[in-house]
Amino acid sequence: MSKFQAPEAFSPSSASWKLLPFRFERLNSHVLLTNMVGERVAVSESDFAQIADDGLPADSELVRRLRAAQIIMQPDEKAPLELLALKTRTRYRTLPESTGLHIFVVSLRCEHACPYCQVSRQSSDTDRFDMSTETARRALDLTFRSPSQSLKIEFQGGEPLLNFPLIREIVVEAERRNAQLGRDLSFVIATNLALLTDEVLDFCADHDIYISTSLDGPAELHNKNRPRPGRDSWERAVDGIRRVREALGADRVAALMTTTARSLDRVSDIVDCYVEQGLTEIFLRPLSPYGFAVKTKAYSAYGTDRWLAFYEEGLNYILELNRKGVGLTERFAAIILKKMLTNEVPRYVDLVSPSGIGIGALVYNYDGDVYASDEGRMLAEMGDETFRLGNVHTASYADIMLSDSLLQPLEESFAASAPMCSDCAFEPYCGSDPVYHYATTGDFVGRKPLSGFCRRNMGVFKLLIDKYETDPHARAVFLDWAGR
Amino acid sequence: MIALRARAANVQLSAPLDRTVWLLTDATTATAQRKGRACVVRDDDDFRDGYGLYLTHDPLARSPNGANTLQLPPLLRHLEAGDVISVSEDGQQIRVLWRHRSHHNHILLTERCDHYCLMCSQPPKRGADDWLLRDAFELIRLLPRTTPGIGFTGGEPTLYGDDLLRLLKLCRNLLPFAAVHILSNGRRFSDFSFAAGWAAVENANMMVGIPIYGAEPSLHDYVVQARGAFDDTVRGILNLGQLRQRIEVRVVIHKQTAPRLVEIAEFIARNLPFVEQVALMGLEVTGFARANLDDLWIDPVDYRDDLVEAVRRLDRRRVRTMVYNHQLCLLDRELWPFAGKSISDWKNEYHPECLKCGAAHECGGFFHSSKYRVSPHIKAIPPDEVAAPKALLPLS
Amino acid sequence: MTEHQLTFDASMHSADAIQRAAYRLSDRLSCDLVAEGDTLRCTLHLPPESGDVPSVVADFRNEVLDQTLRERIRNETQEVRNLILALAFSNTGLVDASES
Repeated sequence: MSKFQAPEAFSPSSASWKLLPFRFERLNSHVLLTNMVGERVAVSESDFAQIADDGLPADSELVRRLRAAQIIMQPDEKAPLELLALKTRTRYRTLPESTGLHIFVVSLRCEHACPYCQVSRQSSDTDRFDMSTETARRALDLTFRSPSQSLKIEFQGGEPLLNFPLIREIVVEAERRNAQLGRDLSFVIATNLALLTDEVLDFCADHDIYISTSLDGPAELHNKNRPRPGRDSWERAVDGIRRVREALGADRVAALMTTTARSLDRVSDIVDCYVEQGLTEIFLRPLSPYGFAVKTKAYSAYGTDRWLAFYEEGLNYILELNRKGVGLTERFAAIILKKMLTNEVPRYVDLVSPSGIGIGALVYNYDGDVYASDEGRMLAEMGDETFRLGNVHTASYADIMLSDSLLQPLEESFAASAPMCSDCAFEPYCGSDPVYHYATTGDFVGRKPLSGFCRRNMGVFKLLIDKYETDPHARAVFLDWAGR
Repeated sequence: MIALRARAANVQLSAPLDRTVWLLTDATTATAQRKGRACVVRDDDDFRDGYGLYLTHDPLARSPNGANTLQLPPLLRHLEAGDVISVSEDGQQIRVLWRHRSHHNHILLTERCDHYCLMCSQPPKRGADDWLLRDAFELIRLLPRTTPGIGFTGGEPTLYGDDLLRLLKLCRNLLPFAAVHILSNGRRFSDFSFAAGWAAVENANMMVGIPIYGAEPSLHDYVVQARGAFDDTVRGILNLGQLRQRIEVRVVIHKQTAPRLVEIAEFIARNLPFVEQVALMGLEVTGFARANLDDLWIDPVDYRDDLVEAVRRLDRRRVRTMVYNHQLCLLDRELWPFAGKSISDWKNEYHPECLKCGAAHECGGFFHSSKYRVSPHIKAIPPDEVAAPKALLPLS
Repeated sequence: MTEHQLTFDASMHSADAIQRAAYRLSDRLSCDLVAEGDTLRCTLHLPPESGDVPSVVADFRNEVLDQTLRERIRNETQEVRNLILALAFSNTGLVDASES
């Protein structure tokens, strides 16, 4: 039995450590390291000094943690390289699968008049702002030209139900074409539900269509944000949600909220409203700096820090609800946590690098103009056509996907090459948003120390990491969200 | 505890035994097949003609016409039709290879191993023992085609290299419905051509169980007492994963690995999430584990919370996770859905507390070897507590 | 606007590292960098809202150290990073490390 060797016999014989690619950030009381695929190790400042000064011993608690996270290795090891390669490949796996999301703006008309809306207010008695059948067919050509196995067609507007006959045509035609092609086809209608009819519901039931709607919070908040004739936007939305759940199923309707200055003090009321409506997911989004938001000064009404306080309060409240058995998920956290805790990268176009413009999503406007993103379309409504890629009637798939309007922002904003992002320990969790940065600074990269996008994201990353490390219950909930 | 080997009580060989491996039949077996079969004779009425070997319970009043006969010792009286034995050339040693009514037959292929695990339940031996492999080939040829499952262990089975692959191919061909489970330290699979040979067996019903005992080389290599083991094993798993082979990762929890349990789970969840399942296993106090007990024994109650966290890290990343060899009264309630009845029936025993326990039928019980050490926290769970679960962390 | 001069030993710190540090702190200061033989002379311009000048300057110095370290890590790991990427995007993903 004395043939067993002591642990020391299996530690490295020398302290000749090889560094693997990693990045670091100094936080309040410690230093955060992330490896090539975003796995984290938190070390004390004195431990970090050992790494920085090449002073790591052959064996120690620190050394073992760094080895487990593939931040250091012994020269004769091979597994760390293979593991990092495999995980890197997994993270980029969906990249060749462009474009997954195709947004059809079937009508610009809308009977709401929301101040933060990014499309112009058109009255509902003009047909000039509806998409034509021919435009829709050409847009479908481009849709199916994309290599992605899964294709999601999302109907937006204005209010898309104002042009329901075209939605019907597009769905039927897409399904007809897909019978030969065998893609995973799905449909979503992004509607305010004010005009929901049984006819629409029946059609959605027949074709497995999902509904996405807006719910900004309790009635008085929602209706102030989203005025319509009759002042009953909330009542109609809530009634619509109920009808969709009953006719199509509880999992067929999701709601998005938009944050306005009014929302900032009401986060728990907003969350309560979602729970009351039986929704299982809420997305605490920031106000975007586009469209009417800027025109009506709504964007300047609050800064990033104020929003971060709103977000933290909301997240705490949601975690409290989870502790009591209410299974509500916060979508923004869930997206980030998936990137932090797994090797999968969700296809959320606003938080991914390379950016999701064009290669994640394409927008076909009512007039046939093609945009790299929904925000790009909104910029065009304000007079800036930087993100217009062409028109379905005159441009081919190659023209659109290879246009400089798309390639230049994609390249310039690639986070791994962008200033400061390339060194940032949080880069694997973050993304590039060339449209945001262009809208706020005039260039696709922006300057990150001054970027609201950067500040906001960093604030959320630090908040999530801190909760994960210090609160076992939050950690359990986060693991659950990350795994969905 | 069911005996699997013993000396014959009496040996009468009128001619040399023409084989080592025998499938048992008895008076109730309705078959004219005689080749490779031995007949179990419990009393004089059971005698049937034409067998190459007879196994009797008592000396018979009438010797079966001078045929080769072994009298079974009391320890082996449990043998019955459908079982398979291996008999030494002189007829003295009887080894049970297969128990027909068992759900967990594991075939020992070799006692040689290139590791020397601190807690090894089958301490390695040096000498060549190819007869074990030969017996395994014979066993497979005798088993019924409908055999539902078979396991292969060692030592380290992959030391046989291509011969192991031949065995597995035979198994696939002759036992097409059998779930085949092989235990290996996985190192040989770091050689991609061997992994490819493994994949070429093309048995969709075949899985390899490979242990990982650390999130980095120092701990794992120490537990298995071999430098470079972790690197090879991880690369072996990666190769098998690339070839879409079915893999179970096993972690034995003891005093050396328990402090790192969460890290090990996290390592597997992030680096090897493609494996089919992960088994977190309690210690079996036998073999080297007995000798090293002071360095290995830890009360499961002491790592109770870490085990919950470890399971969460795996389960929420959609890695199928099982907790084996832990009594339910020592496990946090949250882990009961992950606990399986995993102790081979020939090792299975129960503690006096279990007689009053409401969960005894769900529980795997104990290893026979737990008489050497068992947690003082074993306690019957009242039946009403078993029925009414307290609120679990919501998963929806 | 307050000005503050710093010099760095050019053999210890690269212009790139200093520029990266300045970029990172560009919400609080701006910087002119001039190479003078063996030294790099850095003139920091701090607007009044930067706050306590000595502490901003200290932050800048520390950031230069961190950026120098980042540069070292980048250089030391560049080869293995390229190897990992090559492995990741090769067909088999299993190119033996010693072969390439």
